[in-house]
Amino acid sequence: MRLLGLAISCCVLLMDGLLIWRGVRSRCVRLFPLFFAYILYDFSSTGGAYLVYWVQPSWHASVYWFCYVLSIVVEFAILVEISDHIFQPFPAIRNLGRSLTILIAVALGLTYILPALLSSRGMRPALLDFALRASLTKAVILAALIYAARHFGVRLGRNVAGLMLGFSIYLGVNIANFACVERFGDLYASILWVIAPIAYTLCLLVWTGALWEYAPMPGTRAALPAAGGDSEALVLELARFNNALSRFLHK
Amino acid sequence: MITLVYVTIAIAFLVLVLVFFTRAKSKDPDQGVTRNDQAPHFGDASWLSLSECIFDPSDARWLRNELSFPELALSLTRARKQLAIQWLKALQVSFNTLVRTTALSPHQNPGANSLESWRLLWLTVRFQFFLSYALMIVKLFGPYHRLIPSFTWIPFLKEGESPQRRSLLASSGDLD
Repeated sequence: MRLLGLAISCCVLLMDGLLIWRGVRSRCVRLFPLFFAYILYDFSSTGGAYLVYWVQPSWHASVYWFCYVLSIVVEFAILVEISDHIFQPFPAIRNLGRSLTILIAVALGLTYILPALLSSRGMRPALLDFALRASLTKAVILAALIYAARHFGVRLGRNVAGLMLGFSIYLGVNIANFACVERFGDLYASILWVIAPIAYTLCLLVWTGALWEYAPMPGTRAALPAAGGDSEALVLELARFNNALSRFLHK
Repeated sequence: MITLVYVTIAIAFLVLVLVFFTRAKSKDPDQGVTRNDQAPHFGDASWLSLSECIFDPSDARWLRNELSFPELALSLTRARKQLAIQWLKALQVSFNTLVRTTALSPHQNPGANSLESWRLLWLTVRFQFFLSYALMIVKLFGPYHRLIPSFTWIPFLKEGESPQRRSLLASSGDLD
């Protein structure tokens, strides 16, 4: 089991390195700065934890858990990156993704995560609860982004679609996994612990494939011919639609 | 029990994501949208006057009260309800097509978080909210129902209310 853990960590380090290398080569680093900042953080924290394990084994557990809790928070950066990219080509809804992400994160953070943290007894249940509820919050944000993209008929590019797919696999497995920890405590400690790292490795594999090279968003509609892409004209058109609907509502 | 709930949520989430990506891959957003599904440009007066006809209850009233054909009036109301839903959906399709208008170049948006962007988002969200509301009301109560609730059930508005105050209250609910 220890060997398996080491092998998975090595895989994660390798994939992180590969992602960063490909990101630099394909110039995706400049286009997805938050995502690559997260990958860099993951690479350095995994490598750092390794280093501590060999140099000062007694510190390893503390360093690992500190990095783990921090990564739960830092993972929200991936959602911000995804939400920015989905609607970026469309001026009318450019801020929709980030607004949804922040609104849902704050709302669920205050009503779902924080009360559970404040009422939990002990470090272990608090940490488990935090990881589970944060994963669910991220899944809700992803589902909302998927719904919004589908509602407006937005087609996703390969890069963003890959980011969403990989992260969804990781989050889905995490939710089921953390929920099972409490129920199958002993079984989890011996066998099931391996599920989360394997899901993360799978997620990294999807991300590497998706970000191997830059792919622009497909099938975007051309700018308004009369407006010449001017956002003021777009405001005018949107206002016209709103006025037509308002007139209808007032009947 | 709670474990089962979370596991179900996780499976449902993964299924949702897989369905979304499978459909998105096979379907173009404008595929299957015919010209009839889209609202014409707002310059087209006949299209706007069509909405006046669809949402005008006088035909149904005339059939029911003056010609005494209540069943025919009911049938007309049902047909108008479907037309009203189609009209609203066409409006939504046209609006979403407009929303998918891109900037001339991706680098032409230095003020991505500018006030203008937020204004555009506000107009979009506002339209989507009121359109969903209108669709819900038409689906639930039919095309002839008031979309803005009447406040006449409030006792102090029924009696002794000055016309000025009433018009003031009405304008406070103004959506423009």
